[in-house]
Amino acid sequence: MSSLPVLVIGAGPAGLRAATDLAELNIPVVLVERRKELGGAPIRWKYHSLAPDFTPTEEVLGPMIKFCKNSSNIEVIEEAVVEGYGGSAGDFSVKIRKINGEVQDRKVAAIIVATGFEHFDATVDPRYSYGKAPNVIGINELEVMISEGKVVGHDGKIPKRVAFIFCVGSRDRSTNPWCCTVCCGVSIKQAIELKQLLNDVQIYMIYMDIRTIGLWEKLYWDSMEKYGINYIRGRVGEVFYTGEKLLVKGEDTLVRGPFEVLFDMVVLAVGIEPGEGTKQVASALKLKVNEFGFLAPKIPNIHFDSGKEGIFLAGTCVAPMSVEESIAEGSAAAMQAAKLVSRTKIIV
Amino acid sequence: MIEGNAVQLGKDEEIQLSKEDTKLFERLASERKAKLAMGTTEDYLKMLDKMRELEKKGEIIIHHVEEEYKPVGVRTLSGREKKIPTVELWQHKSCGQCGHIPGYISALYWIMAELGIPFVDDTNQTSCTAWNYYGSGASNSVALSAVFLRNMHVAWEKNAYPLIHCGTSYGDYKECRYLVVMNEDIRRRVRSILNKIGRDIVIPEELVHYSEWLHVMRQRIAERKKLDLSDVKAAVHPACHTYKLMAEDYTYDENILGGTRPAPTSSIILALGAKLVDYSTWYDCCGFGFRHILTEREIARSFAYFRKIRPVVKETGADVLVTHDTGCVTTLDKSQIVALAHGYKETIPVISDSQLSALAMGAHPFKVCQLQWHLADWKPFLEKMGIDWQKAQGEYKEYLEMIKKGGKPSFIRSPERTLSPRSEGMHDIKIAG
Amino acid sequence: MSDEEKGKHIVERKYVDDSRIIEPEKLEIGGIDVSGHWGTLVLPRTIEDFDNSMLKKVKSMPRGKNIEKCWQCGNCTAICPVAHAHPEFNPRYLIHIVKMGYSAEVEKLKDTVYFCSGCGLCSSVCPKGVDPQGVMIAMSIAFKSKKGYR
Ligand SMILES: Cc1cc2nc3c(=O)[nH]c(=O)nc-3n(C[C@H](O)[C@H](O)[C@H](O)COP(=O)(O)OP(=O)(O)OC[C@H]3O[C@@H](n4cnc5c(N)ncnc54)[C@H](O)[C@@H]3O)c2cc1C
Ligand code: SF4
Ligand code: SF4
Repeated sequence: MSSLPVLVIGAGPAGLRAATDLAELNIPVVLVERRKELGGAPIRWKYHSLAPDFTPTEEVLGPMIKFCKNSSNIEVIEEAVVEGYGGSAGDFSVKIRKINGEVQDRKVAAIIVATGFEHFDATVDPRYSYGKAPNVIGINELEVMISEGKVVGHDGKIPKRVAFIFCVGSRDRSTNPWCCTVCCGVSIKQAIELKQLLNDVQIYMIYMDIRTIGLWEKLYWDSMEKYGINYIRGRVGEVFYTGEKLLVKGEDTLVRGPFEVLFDMVVLAVGIEPGEGTKQVASALKLKVNEFGFLAPKIPNIHFDSGKEGIFLAGTCVAPMSVEESIAEGSAAAMQAAKLVSRTKIIV
Repeated sequence: MIEGNAVQLGKDEEIQLSKEDTKLFERLASERKAKLAMGTTEDYLKMLDKMRELEKKGEIIIHHVEEEYKPVGVRTLSGREKKIPTVELWQHKSCGQCGHIPGYISALYWIMAELGIPFVDDTNQTSCTAWNYYGSGASNSVALSAVFLRNMHVAWEKNAYPLIHCGTSYGDYKECRYLVVMNEDIRRRVRSILNKIGRDIVIPEELVHYSEWLHVMRQRIAERKKLDLSDVKAAVHPACHTYKLMAEDYTYDENILGGTRPAPTSSIILALGAKLVDYSTWYDCCGFGFRHILTEREIARSFAYFRKIRPVVKETGADVLVTHDTGCVTTLDKSQIVALAHGYKETIPVISDSQLSALAMGAHPFKVCQLQWHLADWKPFLEKMGIDWQKAQGEYKEYLEMIKKGGKPSFIRSPERTLSPRSEGMHDIKIAG
Repeated sequence: MSDEEKGKHIVERKYVDDSRIIEPEKLEIGGIDVSGHWGTLVLPRTIEDFDNSMLKKVKSMPRGKNIEKCWQCGNCTAICPVAHAHPEFNPRYLIHIVKMGYSAEVEKLKDTVYFCSGCGLCSSVCPKGVDPQGVMIAMSIAFKSKKGYR
């Protein structure tokens, strides 16, 4: 085997899978993660379980995290980013800077970029009063509450009526025009968990389209049929805090009429956007980004190909996607890196 | 938020932008915050540039907000700075004002006299005729523009800066100004009308609503405050025509409600030390608009009551609803009566920001602020402000008796002007173009 | 006052539901007569609450039990022969307003449920197994069991 390792940037589902696969092929890996823990979004935001089957997050990510921490083939560098690179495929030199200022120059054979996403910051869209009114929260915050088994308002009261607002910061010209693909499923998953947690809660899902693609559709059916969760087709114009409750102004387009109904809690299905980490790596590695700020593969249908030889892409830094897809993309990128390493080995 | 060309996006995210982009970004951010991103800011700024171009070519005269008007700068929704003149003002009155809420205008004059602000109360002013907006019967763009420019020319001639009282005139003029500047054909046709009456195209550099004047004068007004308003809860109804017609030209301030809503009126309430309260239908029309008041009185009246008065009272328990347009004060006040006859209980006095300011400065509630014309019960509100309305009512009755007996009514007069009218006949000079 | 008389001076009268117009024959305040033209009020049409009491009734009937499965695709109305003839009858819509608990709307349209011919075509095409024909029967009983809501 080549003595040069593969650099994996980002230790979310995609990066962890890529590192794991390579290590299992006996290819050394340097795993650089900007934060102080491995696992990416699901760990950072304490996802309780994963759609579509309520699999505990631990069950999916735990083994990969453990493997990466313990494998002798993987060197984990936390709280670090890659600052620049030179050389070419099979023989890159990269500069890795730790938060504490320490810089190391390393030689690597290939680079896998898996820097993931950030949640849409709902304060940007003032109509939802997020960050101003209490009890308006994002799905990321609800996920934490569900994990802790306690969903209450700011005053400690158990909510009786909860609205989920879909496509917050997604499919909207004034914020992000793309579909985040997972938030429908994630919101429905959370609504079911909420219903299981608080038996009497009434839940209303305010949506434009329900996009529970593939087998995720079951979530949608079950939520209505088994849990009596209500769906209102329409969009919300304003969330107004009355000092006590949240007045949600929307339209039920199926009855072509405006509604103004009081809720105890409003959950915003905040979308996925490329985020700062992906921007940082794009500029450090001089990668092409598309009009939306995601890393642009050479051909949109082949995600792993960055268009630069020896640099491969995986996961939500390329486009919004689910954990299962991110994991598959991590494996796909690992395969490309492994091919490159085995070729260089022959030359060496 | 913005320093140099670096824009802070999140907690630890910053982007470097070109100067032009920074401006654009700032604009977008403030429009979005105010929930009024209509996508017309670029057109508005283009129009202002074009206006200067036309002036250079000698096609139009711009009535500049010169130093002699002692201007104060404010930020508009577009991010652009606007100059608000503070003295030597030409009072552009509102048609409905005198008939329905005379205290609105007398309070404003009284404040100016108290503060020593010279002004011109001209009898030579016409209606802007835009009240037809409310009946789906607005007149054509040439006629509307001609009336607008005719009034602006009179003000210019008197060497006083137009201060527009009516929200509808203000909004209409902003739209007419856009048409006149951007459309050569309208300009040509309007000029031929104006020439017939010995006038020409004079466009004010800034179109200024009186609420913007109160906004920039709020500290001086607050300094003269005689009453304690700290117990008073006030809600604001901003007039659609002031801040939704050519939204980018109205005043916003990061320090007033975080720039999420127009600054005037809210700002004076805060400066006077009253409590400003919020309600769910803040952005909604008073009911006068959407052409209803002239064609659909039932709907206008019902809207005013069910969508404005009731939410304000039920949600906030405010003592007073303050607004800054003739139509709004009238509709919100008068529409309560029928609902009260039906047995609904919620009611709240409705007054203009000028009346609130004057009351706080110690103006007479009846002689100056003329609350006797307002229908919704204002007594509890006056009591909260510490005004002995019974005594004031007695004084007012005496005053009326005195006039009946042939005594002299008192008038509010402008302090001595420092500017003199432009030389007669100047407007007869042909302007090139 | 007959419904035709009510609010007849409202210019756009035909767009306003009868139930939204309040116009007592005699109305006065402070000794001043404000009846008729001057005293009319039109209530807002805003939906202000969800009321699931009717849903509960329908659900409790043997053939109404699947109502919550409905996702408003409109397949039932598409095939319904009555809906093609009668503009007021719409099984999808009836299901939605009952499910969501739009009580004023249910009150207005509840009698249309009896237009259902019971042919069962809707139930044969419904992708979610709602059995809309059965739901129409369940509704017709629920609507009668007690007048309107509560
Ligand atoms: C609220 C919510 C719930 C969700 N629930 C589910 C679910 O139930 N089921 C499901 O399938 N999907 C779910 N998703 C989607 C899921 O989170 C993503 O598909 C998945 O996390 C993407 O993995 P990733 O590895 O591409 O990116 P991430 O998880 O974002 O990981 C990227 C990692 O890279 C690091 N990084 C970023 N930039 C740099 C840099 N410049 N240098 C070094 N390191 C960097 C980050 O710190 C992070 O650790 C959910 C999404 C949301 C918004
Ligand atoms: S009424 Fe207002 S919100 Fe509605 S479409 Fe017109 S401008 Fe938009
Ligand atoms: S066909 Fe079935 S699911 Fe579709 S609207 Fe009718 S009842 Fe609902």
